[in-house]
Amino acid sequence: MSEMRQMVIEVVEKMLKDHVTKEHVDALAAGKWDQQLWQLFEENGMLALATADMAESDMTDLFALYPLMGKYAAPIPFVEHTLANVLLKTVGAETYDTLTTFVLVDEWHDTLPLVPWARDASQVVVIGREKLAVFALDKATIQKSTNLASEPRDTVTFSTLEAHIEVQLTAAQYDQLRTYITMATVLKSAGAIETAVALTVQFSKEREQFGRPIHRFQMVQRHLADIAGERAIMQAAAGNLLENIVPHEVGYARIRLEQAIRIVTASAHQVHAAIGVTDEHPLNHYTRRLWAWRDELVKANEWQHMLAQHLLEQDVDIWAALTAQSNYNR
Amino acid sequence: MHLPTVQFTTAQHEFRQQVRSFLQQHVADGTFRTKCDAWLSGSDPHFSKIIGEAGLIGLTWPTQYGGQGRSSLDRYILTEELLAIGAPVAAHWIADRQTGPLLLRFGTEAQKQYYLPRIAEGICYFAIGLSEPNSGSDLASVRTRAEKVDGGWLVNGAKTWTSNAHDAHYMITLVRTGPYDPQKKHENLSQLIVDLHAPGVTITPIRYLTGEHHFNDIFFDNVFIPDDQVVGELGNGWRQGLAELAFERSGPERILSTFPLLQQAIDELKKRGDVARLAEAVTLVADVWSLRNLSIGVSKVLEEGGDVDVTAALVKSVGTKFEQKVPEIVRLLLDVYPRLDADTPLDRLLAQAMLHAPGFTIRGGTSEILAGIIAKGVVAQ
Repeated sequence: MSEMRQMVIEVVEKMLKDHVTKEHVDALAAGKWDQQLWQLFEENGMLALATADMAESDMTDLFALYPLMGKYAAPIPFVEHTLANVLLKTVGAETYDTLTTFVLVDEWHDTLPLVPWARDASQVVVIGREKLAVFALDKATIQKSTNLASEPRDTVTFSTLEAHIEVQLTAAQYDQLRTYITMATVLKSAGAIETAVALTVQFSKEREQFGRPIHRFQMVQRHLADIAGERAIMQAAAGNLLENIVPHEVGYARIRLEQAIRIVTASAHQVHAAIGVTDEHPLNHYTRRLWAWRDELVKANEWQHMLAQHLLEQDVDIWAALTAQSNYNR
Repeated sequence: MHLPTVQFTTAQHEFRQQVRSFLQQHVADGTFRTKCDAWLSGSDPHFSKIIGEAGLIGLTWPTQYGGQGRSSLDRYILTEELLAIGAPVAAHWIADRQTGPLLLRFGTEAQKQYYLPRIAEGICYFAIGLSEPNSGSDLASVRTRAEKVDGGWLVNGAKTWTSNAHDAHYMITLVRTGPYDPQKKHENLSQLIVDLHAPGVTITPIRYLTGEHHFNDIFFDNVFIPDDQVVGELGNGWRQGLAELAFERSGPERILSTFPLLQQAIDELKKRGDVARLAEAVTLVADVWSLRNLSIGVSKVLEEGGDVDVTAALVKSVGTKFEQKVPEIVRLLLDVYPRLDADTPLDRLLAQAMLHAPGFTIRGGTSEILAGIIAKGVVAQ
């Protein structure tokens, strides 16, 4: 990891650690916009990371911050805004300094469901198979809604479908956009897994039953071992993707994430027992995000299908593919 | 702990291709047939000699002892290629993986000069004598004892579950060279090189559930071991043996034991053009990709001399669970009938994978023991 990347990670982690308390994440659930945190990111130049001229290595420096958004359940659309701009830049379009969000669509309608933070954003990047278009949100009707984690996922209705920008996408460009979008899901989820595991380990040390901390019980140890395994798997996956973005590897990571989320959320709650299912305990901020994120954007089963098609059409030898020198896309 | 990310270099990639071509040629020539779990169950001294001659045993050892002086990542690559193609490497596997590094670290100059070149040639095999009839997971409770006599040690006792002892020439044997104190079980343990053909050594098979002969009981009746066959320091056997465990636990053999079956299944599904089922099989490829990242990261830390006991336990725990999952998924994706003597590779590989699967989460530390190690590790962090 470059020194530059390490430094930015440390700065952002400190900002999140100092600012994001459980109350801030709860406030998002209550529908509040965290201007203070957003401004902090803006003033520290973190939003500009996505709009500056960018080589692929700079882009991975930005992506390297995404695990932190999951790790702290950051109640701001940092991933959405920066990723929307990365996607614009990828297809050679102008970027925006004002809050930008994005959404994937199968078909073009004047109503877009599940637009993250549409209520606060100035424009939305809409990505379909054949084209990408940017629409202003100021004249659109916005119906507020949320995902499982109480993050804004609004329904946007336009009176006219007049785009600021429209870019026709090649199949390769569309795949590239989906690869970056998937990267973001994997990375922020890896971060949320980290905290869900950390909270669980901590709880198992503090909680005593039958006169000893519960981590001393073998059945509890089995849970801890399982979730530590999943955390390590996803950390290693994230580390690899951040070194070198190889599309099919992003797909593998996304597919493997399903297992990690299933095991970590189940065992984390089981170890926390009753307290973990309360609103009062922070665990739900992480497990609900994991449950929400795995069903958003490019899902695991889409990658399974894409990779299967690829195996078939290119007659891929899987061992050769797994061990190939990953130097393309550089 | 955060593991480093490894990008293989072009030179390493070329080495992989060389090894792969070499092995593929031997498959084409009929030297061996691809098999699941061949690192434990595919003992073939003829093939061990072939790869010894090719310089593929003792890859990381200094050239003065018959090695190639290459990096441990090169060895990782070699190991992966041998396992992915299911080559019969069991005869020399333990000598290459554990005995060599042990002797290099703790052995006397004479031991290194005598044993290492022979191991590297593929003609000298070692077993490891750890488990005993009453010491399984509680390994430190070993009771096999060595009494000091003039010029050496007299060994009495028994070892069990010893893999491939019937093919091996020697065994690194963990014995008690002092009194047994239940409070200090790890003390007074030493490692001796036992010549398995010495008078007083009896080896009897413990047949695997297939009837195959991999495991053995070994009995010692006043077996004389000369002083110069003690490895390292007397009484330091526990620590010396433990040092190699991370290598044993985190390697590709905890991920790829059933890979030949997965590869075959995917080739079958491709032939049939069955995208829907390929999409299911791809989840197993995603497992391999994820586990390799982890395992390669551990091997990088090991190369740099880092402490990865907990992570190594974790790789074994997650990896072997995956190895067991492969046959369970494959049998649901294809029309198969597992038989060990089937003509169709898929049925044969499935039978091998299924029948060997129960051992994956037992050998080299049961998953229950590993869970304890991992949990204690993360709680201590």
